[in-house]
Amino acid sequence: MARRRTRQPTPAPTPDLGALGERVSAARAAAEARGDTFYQGPSQTLLASFPPPERWDEWAELDSRAWPERVERRSMLVPTTCFNCESACGLLAYVDRDTLQVRKFEGNPAHPGSRGRNCAKGPATINQVTDPDRILYPLKRAGARGEGTWERATWDEALDAIASRLRAAITEGRHNEIMIHIGRPGEDGFTERVLASWGVDGHNSHTNVCSSGGRTGFQFWTGIDRPSPDHANAKVIYLISAHLETGHYFNPHAQRITEARARGAKVIVLDTRLSNTATHADHWLSPRPGSEAAINLAVARHIIVSGRANWDFIRDWWNWQEYLAACRPASPQTFETFQEALAEEYDGYTFDLAAAESGVDAAVLAEVAELVAGAGTAFSCHSWRSAAAGNLGGWQVSRTVFFLAALLGAVATPGGTFPNAYNKFVPRPIHVPPHPKVWQDLSWPLEFPLAQNEMSFLLPHFLQDGRGRLDTYFTRVYNPVWTNPDGVSWMEVLADPEKVGCFVALTPTWNESAYFADWVLPMGHSSERHDTHSYEQYDGQWVGFRQPVLRAARERLGQEVTDTRQVNPGEVWEENEFYIELSWRIDPDGSLGIRQYHESRANPGQKLTVDEYYGWMFEHSVPGLPEAAAAEGLTPLQYMRRYGAFEVTRGQGAVYAQPVPEEELADLHVTPTGRVYTGAPKPDGPNIAPVGAPAPDDEGRRAVGVMVGGTVRRGFPTPSGRLEYWSSTLAAWGWPEHALPGYIRSHVHPDNMAPDQMVLLSTFRLPTQIHTRSANSKWLDELSHTNPVWIHPTDAARLGIARTGDLLRVATDIGYFVAKAWITEGIRPGVVACSHHMGRWKLVGHDAVASGGMMATVSLHEDGDNWSMRTRERVRPYESSDPDTRRIWWSDTGVHQNLTFPVHPDPISGMHCWHQAVRVTPATPGDRHGDIAVDTARAREVYHRWLAGTRPAGSYSPDATRRPAWLMRPLKPAADTFAIPEPAAAFSAAGADPGAVRTDR
Amino acid sequence: MTPAAGVVTADPAEPAAADPAAAEPAAAEPEGADRWELLRALGALAATPPPASRPVSEALGLPPSAPADHTRLFVQDLPPHASIHLGPEGKLGGEGADRVAGLWRALSLEPPPDADHLASLLWLCAELGAAAGSCRTAVAQRRLEHARSVLLWEHLASWLPGYLAAAAPYPAAGGWSGLTLAALRRELATTAAAAVLPAALRDAPAPVDPHERAGDLLQAMTVPVRTGFVLTARDLARAGADIGVGVRVGERRFALQAMADQDPRATLSWLAGHARRWAGVHAAQPIASLASEWWAQRAAATAATLERLAGDA
Repeated sequence: MARRRTRQPTPAPTPDLGALGERVSAARAAAEARGDTFYQGPSQTLLASFPPPERWDEWAELDSRAWPERVERRSMLVPTTCFNCESACGLLAYVDRDTLQVRKFEGNPAHPGSRGRNCAKGPATINQVTDPDRILYPLKRAGARGEGTWERATWDEALDAIASRLRAAITEGRHNEIMIHIGRPGEDGFTERVLASWGVDGHNSHTNVCSSGGRTGFQFWTGIDRPSPDHANAKVIYLISAHLETGHYFNPHAQRITEARARGAKVIVLDTRLSNTATHADHWLSPRPGSEAAINLAVARHIIVSGRANWDFIRDWWNWQEYLAACRPASPQTFETFQEALAEEYDGYTFDLAAAESGVDAAVLAEVAELVAGAGTAFSCHSWRSAAAGNLGGWQVSRTVFFLAALLGAVATPGGTFPNAYNKFVPRPIHVPPHPKVWQDLSWPLEFPLAQNEMSFLLPHFLQDGRGRLDTYFTRVYNPVWTNPDGVSWMEVLADPEKVGCFVALTPTWNESAYFADWVLPMGHSSERHDTHSYEQYDGQWVGFRQPVLRAARERLGQEVTDTRQVNPGEVWEENEFYIELSWRIDPDGSLGIRQYHESRANPGQKLTVDEYYGWMFEHSVPGLPEAAAAEGLTPLQYMRRYGAFEVTRGQGAVYAQPVPEEELADLHVTPTGRVYTGAPKPDGPNIAPVGAPAPDDEGRRAVGVMVGGTVRRGFPTPSGRLEYWSSTLAAWGWPEHALPGYIRSHVHPDNMAPDQMVLLSTFRLPTQIHTRSANSKWLDELSHTNPVWIHPTDAARLGIARTGDLLRVATDIGYFVAKAWITEGIRPGVVACSHHMGRWKLVGHDAVASGGMMATVSLHEDGDNWSMRTRERVRPYESSDPDTRRIWWSDTGVHQNLTFPVHPDPISGMHCWHQAVRVTPATPGDRHGDIAVDTARAREVYHRWLAGTRPAGSYSPDATRRPAWLMRPLKPAADTFAIPEPAAAFSAAGADPGAVRTDR
Repeated sequence: MTPAAGVVTADPAEPAAADPAAAEPAAAEPEGADRWELLRALGALAATPPPASRPVSEALGLPPSAPADHTRLFVQDLPPHASIHLGPEGKLGGEGADRVAGLWRALSLEPPPDADHLASLLWLCAELGAAAGSCRTAVAQRRLEHARSVLLWEHLASWLPGYLAAAAPYPAAGGWSGLTLAALRRELATTAAAAVLPAALRDAPAPVDPHERAGDLLQAMTVPVRTGFVLTARDLARAGADIGVGVRVGERRFALQAMADQDPRATLSWLAGHARRWAGVHAAQPIASLASEWWAQRAAATAATLERLAGDA
């Protein structure tokens, strides 16, 4: 060890303090004589404003690394959007004019949602772009699947091989053997349209392990599956989420919540864990997991009994008449009857009951309820994943949250909660292929007719059931082995060519699923790809444009770029150009009818380019954009390449109350409850944001609105056209007991757990990571790389866990994991919590995979149904082209807890119910941090047990269809595919194990 | 942060409480206003970053420092608060700050928010000195001189020499640290040396214990009164280079933990050497002999403990 001498204060010659004092006195006197302040006190630093757009072509700033020399760096500032979480916040890439490389990313002030502000993940995009371990070239598997040996391939090889398989599957009628599994899409509908052009119902999403539960509750109320809270103008903000720190769309929402708080708004947060959001709340409630709906209903009861319900709104906009007809047919069918009935329905939800369920003091609940009741129409609320994603019946959490807004009339009001489609703009693209003529049972099985999204996390079990096979399975920036519960079952099927014939991983970086791929194809990050998107972040509509910034920079310099690979690192591509090229190779002569959707309109017979695709879209489908562009002498595409976003509208307001234009009213049919159907065709609007699609009447007229106050108004895209307090859909499809906003006791309710079990919360994010997508960012990895188990001091003491950092074993239904304890009062007693971002791994022997700062090297052992994983090597400093990899100071990267979770499909929403009933004990002597053990036979048992709780369409469908046609579906097949096929022609409605599924009704 | 001028009145209404620890105050030196202005100016440089402080640094004949250097020294690495150097947890506020606030209250003054910041302490010292010089009664003058003496020995001499030694290598310290040390020395010379250790050192927590949990031990390394030394982020960066481990950018406690995780023996050895060096720093700077001796002994004890632990690691 080298030794150095500490530098001592230099023994300076004794200063003449007297003379110095005189000088200071004189200087002070002189300054004050001039009217100046000599002692100015502590600093007041002003934040720099953003570079003005007129200087984005030539922005100069001093190079901090050249200090103390003043060296100017000249940059072109090119906008794009972040590709990490789903917020799609605006970024500005600082492209060095001399080297044409991206130097850094900062916020884009022209972005209406994020307004120039970003979380840590936005600027960290530069790490992802320059990650020394990223995948730069197409790779083809060299050894056995999962063995970890690869050889470099050309894009032509990959495209030809994959296109050949796809063409064969399509021409042989095996459409359902093609599937693209999407992580967070970060774009609005391109992939769905690619699949539609192939005639394939193969869109699979991660949503049923993410937000389906939350969406379901909103969809049954409004016909639209997401809320858009106007936090900025709210008086009371009610969050069953962590929107000041994480979640969709936390940065845009957080800044508006902060503005509201500055004006005096109160924030109420329901979160069992002391999240960063909870720390900012005026009222933090830490309920027993799964009891949130009971609290909501107690608040609802208080609104009703205290006379604060907005009866005028309810009379006009709730489907109370349908409720009375269905549930109280013998009573007078009057609004007064309904008022009484509503009070009766929730009379039992006293604060005492909610307190008993939630463990939150009744007086606290009463205080919060009074606050909510006093908010009037300025009540914004949000529930997204959190409780809705954790619990059996979690979808009722969001349904009961919106119940509060609906009671107050705080729907699409200033400070209220909007249906998201009011605040979202999805421009109609140049080609819209028709609905596929097939139905994918592997994603949309009969057991889950009301599932909000694809039953993606059950795919391994369905394949093991023999319900089908996949010829070609794509993952698109997605990591199902790591992200889903029961990842070992994913490994089993992905490693089996009989179940998955060809696995193509489209990914910028290595991940736990790509190890099993046949092809690994490098896709671009935020600054290396094109996408459009629009998200509900305030009461307005905007369109964002992600673009390859080096392409845009070169084009500003007059260079022509025809393929994004020309500017991306290595041979990294983007999906749009990839899919266009792939589609042409599937159907080179156009005979399959596919190519037409990927052809140029301007140059028939030529491939569609991304410039034409987006140029057409911005020219024809974004109102106001052509005019705004023309005012600056730009084309709409040039405008979007320059600014990266465009605000289409602001202040949408109560769209539901808008009168329907006369031209849409023809051959009307008005039902007794005021539903209005029209014979006029639906005009082709430019905005194709997804909403529910209420069925036509018996004569084929389309649902156009509702009659309110003698005027046909737009209403809501629900069967009734109104807010559905009572859901005819739930009632008709076998769940009448849950047709109203209600409380379903969770699978982790105390009644459903053994006395020695605790609840494990596994769903929460950290603000600085986003699943596996951000894991190749060195800055983010340094900030967050491990996931200790939160445990309350009383539980720790009871269990004999002495100190933070001690190892503990968490046993689930199918195995266990070993993690470090974090003893904290930030978690409720009886509950433990572990963030899901960590525990990344690579397999021993996968030497081609650099582990970076986040992946431990593990061994995986299989012994029949018993699998185990053990960490063999933790992360450590290593040599690379980035000197920072020598500075990795951490070794603990957490534990991959999801591997030990069985699947828990909610029988209604289809959401995986993440919370686990676990037994927590101190680790045993042989345990090591990161250990995993899983029994896949037990996993199958749990799968069958939950499947037995479903009410399949085959037995419960009211109209012999697979699914209510009005419900949203990311890629909707043709109408005739909805019919339940004959048992011989399709997999039985009873599933693989007929005995497992209830047939009683 | 900087108290308004004239907070201390020359003729307080109430006589000062008797303080058995203080000797008969010596008479103020005759430099008058200039002497107090020097103290104010030296304090102001610790509180006000350039360019706003440039007239002050020019008057003192000190080179201007860069704003970033100023922030690095006075905001990030070595905030000049007595509580950090005298408090039992080595943190802002708490007991260390309460002691200083108590002096203000004893003078019937409302303590400012940053009462224990060096700028506030030097400003108060100047105010007390100026007020004492214009007292009309000997009783009032003695009371103010006594207060100034308490301030100097209890709240400045007890930690400032060590702080200035730690600050000296920083670019923003320039000639400021030496000048401040000289000014302190001159002020101390005008009062009788305290007969007992400052209360913060008398009541200081125990030195580091070889049986402490590793985490607690590392936490203690950031607490000057427990170790006898000041450990800066700059020191840690040098340590990383010396012993060849990665240095986590962040709070010192976490950086130390990361270093110890990588190479516990080398980390402990380096810390032991650091403590040894600091024992020498204190011994070579006997400005307030009792306090300096205490600091030197504490650093030496820490060095011995860490050497033992390094041997066992």
